Amino acid sequence: MNGAPPTTSAGGRAARGAVVAGLAGLVLVFPLTRSGIEVNVYTEAVIYAIIGLSLNVLVGYAGQISLGHQAFVGIGAFTAAYVTTVHEQNFVAAIGVTMLVGAAQALLLGLVSLRITGLYFALVTLTYGTMAESSLFNITSLTGGAAGQAAPKPAAFASDHRYYFLCLAFLAVVLYVDWRLTATKAGRALLAIRQDRRVAASFGADLKRYTLIAFMVSGVFASVAGALLAYNTGSVVAGQFTFQLALVFVIMTVVGGLRSRAGVVVGSAFFALTGFLFDKLHLASAVSAIPLLPDLPADLAPLVLGPLLLLFTLTRHPGGFGELLRPIGRWLRAAPPADRPAGARVESHA
Amino acid sequence: MGQALIIGIVAGSGYGLIALGLVLVYKSSGIFNFAQGEFGTIAVYALWGAHSVGVPYGLAMLAGLAAALASGLATERFVVRPLFAAPRVTLLVATAGVSLLAIGTEEWLGKGQLRFLPPALGRLGRVSVFGFAVSDQRLLILATLAALALAGTWFFARTDLGLAILGLSQNPLATELMGISAERLSRFTWGVAAILGGLGGILSAPLASGFGAGFVTLSALIPAFTAAVLGGMTSLPGAFVGGVVVGVAESVAVTYSVFHHVPGAPSVMVFALLVTTLAVRPRGLLGSRSAAGAPAEPSL
Repeated sequence: MNGAPPTTSAGGRAARGAVVAGLAGLVLVFPLTRSGIEVNVYTEAVIYAIIGLSLNVLVGYAGQISLGHQAFVGIGAFTAAYVTTVHEQNFVAAIGVTMLVGAAQALLLGLVSLRITGLYFALVTLTYGTMAESSLFNITSLTGGAAGQAAPKPAAFASDHRYYFLCLAFLAVVLYVDWRLTATKAGRALLAIRQDRRVAASFGADLKRYTLIAFMVSGVFASVAGALLAYNTGSVVAGQFTFQLALVFVIMTVVGGLRSRAGVVVGSAFFALTGFLFDKLHLASAVSAIPLLPDLPADLAPLVLGPLLLLFTLTRHPGGFGELLRPIGRWLRAAPPADRPAGARVESHA
Repeated sequence: MGQALIIGIVAGSGYGLIALGLVLVYKSSGIFNFAQGEFGTIAVYALWGAHSVGVPYGLAMLAGLAAALASGLATERFVVRPLFAAPRVTLLVATAGVSLLAIGTEEWLGKGQLRFLPPALGRLGRVSVFGFAVSDQRLLILATLAALALAGTWFFARTDLGLAILGLSQNPLATELMGISAERLSRFTWGVAAILGGLGGILSAPLASGFGAGFVTLSALIPAFTAAVLGGMTSLPGAFVGGVVVGVAESVAVTYSVFHHVPGAPSVMVFALLVTTLAVRPRGLLGSRSAAGAPAEPSL
């Protein structure tokens, strides 16, 4: 960062204040005015943001693609449901166990990633996700089999509105951890490793250690998101965690913009809300107005529109939403325009 | 044991067909094509659509292959070519996007229904091996796969076009300097790969108990990739052998009582096979040594 003090006028400060207040109102106050069923959808958007951030740690920071993230999330969901329903433990214990299990399974996959990289690792994660879906999640004694496992909300957060704020608090913690991860030595090491493993190792970056840290952080984020998802719907079934869902997770993170926290949060929330918005805006009838096309059900909207957005992002706009949000963020912080190329990370000299 | 073997070999030859297309694309451009399965599903839907409005089966099969070809060429033109200079992981994600788009669209236009396809050759159980009847449809898959693997090997070893594709995969710049158009070759390989995927789909769909959205991707993409990796990722006969090995492994996992308490035993078997292969022998059974030490790729 250059040392020039940011220039702000009274008008600029007022405009910034108004935008921040508007955003805070949208996230903190608006849901209070909506019905419980609708708030469930917003809660899901918050949880998807955590999932997106989890995937961003792997893909964006560690440079390892995961096409099996439905397994990461699903393992969290089933662990939380198991501890809550079968062992009748409280919320704190359930989240604690979930985080441990999530970190452990991510660590195992991380060990595999040290040996198998790139395209082959993507294939391993894809296979891992599918195996979890068809095998792991169908072990009846752990997951309740086809009937699934119940996961009642913690008593203190039983109302949909309270639960929304609980998830929001988790998102805030995840954002903080993510920020600390990138702002410290680990973040710089991961950046170097992602760009060139050999050069980074030769400069003393502990490749194994930081890759495994990234995997475990990602695993903890994803499993917490899974647990929150389970409580939000009240139950978990194996059929939720499909190959298609894993692809949606990847798409929302890439469209959101890898390595951009704001972009990933907005992108993930956008995909969680696609079906809902599709319904609210009566877009289904707009689609069926086109001759020969049947109604596009709202739950399929992300599956059809998501990939189109992904292909557009990859070919035309590689920075995703994050790229679009960057100037707004800069304006909000009243920082001068960056002089470095888009997508480059700001390195501090700590 | 004999029966498990036969079931496995036949199922595996279906995987081998899909794997051939994966190997072809990887050999020519280094891309893991996650849309390969959907080329097959699109062909199955086109065949089913044409057949259900009264088109004779043979012609309907051609319609299916044409649909696969069209989807392959469209993928090449609108996704692969604009991203050709991008890291291979980006292309992997892009083809996965194509796959999801196809699955979503099939679910949407197919209204989420399960459909059924009659076999190309009607008679069942004509030939008996180890006392296990093998249907004509299964023999057809086996024969098609064997013929294609041999034809492909001949093509890459003996024809100018085949050598040009190999050259392109090894050194794109030098190949272009020899006056070979990378663009035309890319279109050609994607077209052929899509037809192979289409064949895999339309030949194996009648054997399944119905098909729905994402049929080939969900039932065969991962086994096919495992087959290709087992075969060395660049070897066409390897894809055939790999397919059979994966098919037999799955069939053993279902048959033997050791696995009876494990739900989804075939998927566990495939996962174990894939990870073991990559960890112990990354160049596969028939892969060349050079394929093993692939340089580290820049990430997304």
